Amino acid sequence: MKLNYAALAGFLALMFGLSSAQAAGPTDPQIAAIVVTANQVDIDAAKLALSKAKSPDVKTFAQLMITDHSGVNKAATELVQKLHVTPESNPTSQSLQKGGDDNLAALKKLSGSAFDRVYVDHEVVYHQAVLDALDTTLIPSAQNAELKALLVKVRPAFVAHLEHAKHLQGELGK
Amino acid sequence: MRVGKHSAVRVCAVAVAGLGLAGAAASSGQVKAGAKTFVVTMQITGFEPQILTVAPGDRVTWVNKDLFPHTATADDKTFDSQGVAPTGTWTFVAGKLGTYTYTCTFHPTMRGTIKVQ
Repeated sequence: MKLNYAALAGFLALMFGLSSAQAAGPTDPQIAAIVVTANQVDIDAAKLALSKAKSPDVKTFAQLMITDHSGVNKAATELVQKLHVTPESNPTSQSLQKGGDDNLAALKKLSGSAFDRVYVDHEVVYHQAVLDALDTTLIPSAQNAELKALLVKVRPAFVAHLEHAKHLQGELGK
Repeated sequence: MRVGKHSAVRVCAVAVAGLGLAGAAASSGQVKAGAKTFVVTMQITGFEPQILTVAPGDRVTWVNKDLFPHTATADDKTFDSQGVAPTGTWTFVAGKLGTYTYTCTFHPTMRGTIKVQ
């Protein structure tokens, strides 16, 4: 199976771009929903990868995604509870969920090396898209200082994950 | 992945355990009167300070400032914190002289050096 990276990247950019298209950008409750959903869909994909991936390195990466993104979601959940913010579903979070569901459906049809390649390719595109969204939409739009600080704090993790995924991509391509 | 949430009590226990390991190789590694304690923060952007020079008997305490676990694992396995949970700490008592490069096994881009001299 050959993945259309450009189409996938465009789709993810569109998902996040929906928010930036809004006149005032996403509200804090909407940002909370976007953050939680973005982390959860990556956790869900990683859980599938743990059971289906062929490469031990891909399994290790998947476990890291579960641990790190769970940590981010725990912190995000604790913060919104502290701030009495109720995450508000919005077109971006809904599109993210649909994209995650579609990714899972595609991955479930694959096995072995093909699964590894598609999973890792998606991780590269996904983390780049989240980084772009953090920089262009989520961090600039966050109103609450603690929410903004949390977004800034998690950014380096997405950078590290992106580099890790790119490294894996290179290894799998050899 | 093994993750330990190290409380203050646990830190003491780990420090004692580290002392035992280091002490087995040399008389160094024991907490000495006047020994100093150094703090190294663990964040995915790296260990801070990245390079730390200590004397035998000094304590090095790693503090996880991140939202997910990290490790401080010497390349030669002289020390290995295993997973340190968010807000958790882990302490190692410097023993044998030498330069110890270490990494976070979860996030290999995090690298640091402890010089015992």
